[in-house]
Amino acid sequence: MNPIGDRVLDRSRQLGAEDAELYISRGTEFTVRIYNGEIESLVSAESRGVGLRTFLEHRVGFSYTSDTEPDALDALVDEALLNGRYNHADEANVLPATEMAGAVAGLASPALEQTEPQRKIDFALEMERRATSLDPRVRRVSDAVYSDGSGQVEIYNSRGLHATYERTVAYGVLETIAEQDSEMQSGFAFTHGRDIGELDLEAVVQEAVENAAGLLGARPVPTARVPVVLHPHAAAMILGVLSSSFSADAVIKRRSLLAGKIGEQVAAGIVTITDDALLPQGLASRPFDGEGVPSRRNELIVDGVLTSYLHNTYTAVRTNGRSTGSAVRSYRNVPEVGVSNLVLKPGDISREMLLAGVDNGLHVSQLTGLNTVNPVSGEFSLGLTGHWIENGRLTKPVKELTVAGNVIALLRNVVAVANDLRFIFAGGFCGSPTVLIEELPVGGL
Amino acid sequence: MPLLDQSLVDSVIKRALRSGADFVELFVERKRNQSISVEESKVQRVSSGNDLGAGLRIIHQGTVSYVYTEDLSEDGLLKTADLAAQVGRRGGGRFAFGDLSGAPHAPQRIEVAPETVGADAKIELLLEADQAAREVSGAVRQVAVGYGQSSQEVLVATSEGVRHADVRTRVRLMIHAVAERNGEIQTAMEAPGLQRGFEFFDETSAAEYARAAAERATALLDAAPSPAGPMAVVVGNEFGGVLFHEACGHGLEADFVGKGSTVFVGKIGQPVASPIVTAVDDGTLPSRWGTLAVDDEGVPTRRNVLIQDGVLVSYMYDRLRAGQQNHPVTGNGRRQSYQHLPIPRMTNTFIAAGAHSVEDIIAATPRGLYAKKLGAGQVDVTSGDFVFAVTEGYLIEGGRIGRPVRGATIVGNGPRALYKIDMVGNDLKLAPGTCGKEGQGVPVSVGQPTIRISELTVGGTGVGPGGAMRQ
Repeated sequence: MNPIGDRVLDRSRQLGAEDAELYISRGTEFTVRIYNGEIESLVSAESRGVGLRTFLEHRVGFSYTSDTEPDALDALVDEALLNGRYNHADEANVLPATEMAGAVAGLASPALEQTEPQRKIDFALEMERRATSLDPRVRRVSDAVYSDGSGQVEIYNSRGLHATYERTVAYGVLETIAEQDSEMQSGFAFTHGRDIGELDLEAVVQEAVENAAGLLGARPVPTARVPVVLHPHAAAMILGVLSSSFSADAVIKRRSLLAGKIGEQVAAGIVTITDDALLPQGLASRPFDGEGVPSRRNELIVDGVLTSYLHNTYTAVRTNGRSTGSAVRSYRNVPEVGVSNLVLKPGDISREMLLAGVDNGLHVSQLTGLNTVNPVSGEFSLGLTGHWIENGRLTKPVKELTVAGNVIALLRNVVAVANDLRFIFAGGFCGSPTVLIEELPVGGL
Repeated sequence: MPLLDQSLVDSVIKRALRSGADFVELFVERKRNQSISVEESKVQRVSSGNDLGAGLRIIHQGTVSYVYTEDLSEDGLLKTADLAAQVGRRGGGRFAFGDLSGAPHAPQRIEVAPETVGADAKIELLLEADQAAREVSGAVRQVAVGYGQSSQEVLVATSEGVRHADVRTRVRLMIHAVAERNGEIQTAMEAPGLQRGFEFFDETSAAEYARAAAERATALLDAAPSPAGPMAVVVGNEFGGVLFHEACGHGLEADFVGKGSTVFVGKIGQPVASPIVTAVDDGTLPSRWGTLAVDDEGVPTRRNVLIQDGVLVSYMYDRLRAGQQNHPVTGNGRRQSYQHLPIPRMTNTFIAAGAHSVEDIIAATPRGLYAKKLGAGQVDVTSGDFVFAVTEGYLIEGGRIGRPVRGATIVGNGPRALYKIDMVGNDLKLAPGTCGKEGQGVPVSVGQPTIRISELTVGGTGVGPGGAMRQ
């Protein structure tokens, strides 16, 4: 056992806690930022912190600290117990039954630690160099970053749980600037994996350059109601907005769009959404959740029908259900309910085939203002950039348009889903293919 | 108690300098937080936390390396200094760094340190607010009330011999009300906060803010879908300033300027806005959310006029960009915590007051949208294109405030919108917020008086105020 875990759990018990749970997180970070062929900054660090929950007469106390000196750990216990005294007693405040989680293969790449810093620096330099030599209109890069890290989570509790896992991640992030006449457009792209070997340099460069250059000359278009095709990233952003509504906590507090709709058709029949914390390529995958409950694959919407909400231990007990292993947290927070890898199931057709079905419509590559969507009513009015679609092909770029509607109505009006699944971070790690929406009002000139 | 022993500070800096660095800076931070939340009229959570750590920045010929740690023991810090020296790379560039100048201001005066007040008193405030919100109308279904306090102590020590400290104490109230009628749900929030001690609540009535949120959520139930299309938009004061912050303020930060990724590059001394617009970033305002005695690089904050009568006067700098761009420092070098490198950031940013009353502005507007309160928004710094949600909006018809509308967003281009500001009100107010950039959140104020923008695109689900949508 770990000396920090021992000390904290012992003191909690001595001071009267019936139960206690310590969450320890450790991490490393390496980030290099390149500008103009030089290292602009380089960050290298190790960090750690601990969060403690104490349980006494169904009152939960919580406190955290990044200071793991003995005095600070003692103060952590004292504060958590003091905080708990004020909280209301709720019988649903319990630790989960102890269950051993199986390992998830491939979460941590041993290669990450062995990679020479120079190789990481070279990756970022190369992203910048190639990005400025592909297209004459793209001569500058505003951001070229390589970043990686490893994170280790350990949970100890007074019910005998001692669980741990390690996860690694590596990213390349690129933002280019395209210029023509007096116009400037930026283009963003990123590549991710468990280590540098999994990053796709060529693809990230190509995409960042195309995203910027492709928008040059974008103009507003007249207001219309047209079929709308969402790029996988735009569709995944909408999944991210929807994600909080799957939380049973949001349902209980009446802050969910999906409250009271279990068993109802909430989306078109071709829509199936799962939250899968065991997905091999998922960057949010982990063997167990923030309370140590084993992860599982949760089907949320099956063929358009809402089948389940996500639960942590508290919401499960409160609603006589079972935890879905969906407690998310850092050491600075108590376990809340949240998604892991949230995925809209891909269909059978290619993106090209999906586009071929659109004679006159709008392809949305980027939605802005997703943080303005009302998560309770689902109403949205977003800014967008993208291209007009004529006879199945992307033609002129468009911008300064708005699209308005409701998230639920949007789900009901999905008429086609392609097979080109892609992921982004949007609340959780959200993945979607290209999606065709029957018709939406698009406001412009 | 000092954050770190003076002799240890000296030896860490000396150790890191051994690598031949041009510059070394140690940033030490201790932050204590407490938050309390009341939901379903019950105390849901009292929690507290303690962040303690240090970051070491070293510069070799223009190349910046950064290392941070939570281990503040002598051993731990010296090891970190060695690591910093080791990761530090020789850059090819010239080392230029903005000079620290001027004496630091005193930290904001706190009368009643919030950590000396028991949780009971805070809970009492929250329960009163919860009750007040619920009494507003039968339609109020959910109320969530929160209290937050934080006290951040920082020390900045550099190889130039600078040793500056600051303490930033903040208290904030958060109220979120949900109203529901016939299956329709609307929400509203209020979140006042200042750099004050618990005396903040002597002048701030939690119950009053709670009633305001509940009233607005209830009123929104009667709102019609917002019309869409281009129209005049009157943007309300206070948090309305988020529009300037996002759509123009970021474009005036020297890191974006240095990379040429904003439209304001090379425009100093040139007109960039309508001549009635003056905009300021002022890190010295008493008690404000973004106020600092010294910034996170030890530079005393100041009042920086960004735009004077429509003419661009200054960008906002951290020390690195000030050096690179050969400009005096402005006190805008900030970081979220010891785990982050400082970058140019805003402090308290606002459009200065003008001549008109709100009534004048509305009366002078034949038709349009009164965006009294703005919510969240997003902006592309390079193009300046923005989108903001209108959380409290009304139609303006015949120079009068008409029916409430919901679901409106305003969409436009920041630099172009600056030229379209054709009326500026006299009711300047500031509001607290957290500004995110490069993954770092820092506390800021946004602000403005009521302003009118002659034309913006309004997004919404309804039809235009003149009748049908224009094709």
